[in-house]
Amino acid sequence: MANDREILREVWEGKLPISFQLDPDEVVELQQPDPFYLMVPRLSYFPLVTDKVRKHFLRYVANDKQDREMWLEYDGQPMKWHYPIGVLYDLLITSDDQLPWNITVHFDKFPENQIYKFSNKETVESYFMACLKEADVLKHRGQIASNMQKKDHNQLWLGLQNDKFDQFWAVNRKLMEVSQEQEHFKYIPFKCYLDDGYRQKLIKPVDEDGRRKTLQDLINEMFPGKNVVIKTHGMIPPLETPLQWMSEHLSYPDNFLHLCVQT
Amino acid sequence: MSEDASENKGAADSLQSFQSMNINDGDQENNQKSDKQKIDILLKPTGNAPIMKKKKWTVEGDKPISWIAEFMKRYMKLEPQEKLFLYVNQTFAPSPDQIMKNLYDCYSTEGKLVLHYCKTPAWG
Repeated sequence: MANDREILREVWEGKLPISFQLDPDEVVELQQPDPFYLMVPRLSYFPLVTDKVRKHFLRYVANDKQDREMWLEYDGQPMKWHYPIGVLYDLLITSDDQLPWNITVHFDKFPENQIYKFSNKETVESYFMACLKEADVLKHRGQIASNMQKKDHNQLWLGLQNDKFDQFWAVNRKLMEVSQEQEHFKYIPFKCYLDDGYRQKLIKPVDEDGRRKTLQDLINEMFPGKNVVIKTHGMIPPLETPLQWMSEHLSYPDNFLHLCVQT
Repeated sequence: MSEDASENKGAADSLQSFQSMNINDGDQENNQKSDKQKIDILLKPTGNAPIMKKKKWTVEGDKPISWIAEFMKRYMKLEPQEKLFLYVNQTFAPSPDQIMKNLYDCYSTEGKLVLHYCKTPAWG
């Protein structure tokens, strides 16, 4: 299991500076609101960190729009709240010179045919837990997540929501364990993001001879004959990194590796 | 166990409204050709779910779960506010934007993808 604990913490502590600005067309006050600055965890989801943003801008929009669902846009694209923040950043931003990340806030004209609505944080919670269970199906045939108690699930969720590393990892380490007879997961839970969505396949962490497979092997299996660069957590991991190690140390809290593919 | 299920209900309800929401992003033509591959799916009711006369369907690989859920609701003539939950491996509810090809590649058995469906949350 995860011995490189400092790496888990480094990944957990990854943050992005964001400047939120209300769409000027939605401002009904004489004075434009100031931008709202936040450092947000890469591993979190926008609905979990934007309560203060909503509160800041609320009084600048028309009364009848104030109870509408807030949504975010970057460079003309509505942001998918169900992708982790770090994944959105790695997909949308090519260079760190563009920090802080300028995001436009809207209360009007929710783009229902482009992004999903979330009515409350419970929507995010049930989505997150479903991802975690899927990851456990791939790693351990779902046996660890389904044998957990409700309080363990709560602890995972609260650990993520409140940005508490120790609280989260006290339970998550069970999901990252390997059995004694097998020193690796059954399959590696990952999503490869392309321009039009993501791809998943069954990839084992070792080959038939028991050799540990690497990121290069994953690329070969997913994109045969193609030269691609994989980015995750804002970095490009070496191609010889073993997949089992990546899964244990570089997975997002939903227990998936989120790999942004650049061709 | 049953207590846990009721505790989860609120969250699961939210997931469902999320799962059945259909997004038609209009650029499905851009998808890779391989996603046009046809996928055989088998729809199995569980709990109090109505039975579908036709259980075996063939769908395009680039169709998302939300599309399937909306289709099933129409086919079974459910009211728009009625809920439908879809599960893979009788374990987890796939994301509404998850496409059939991904699910087939990871979770199919004997050449088809089995999806369980119900009107109340089955596997929290």
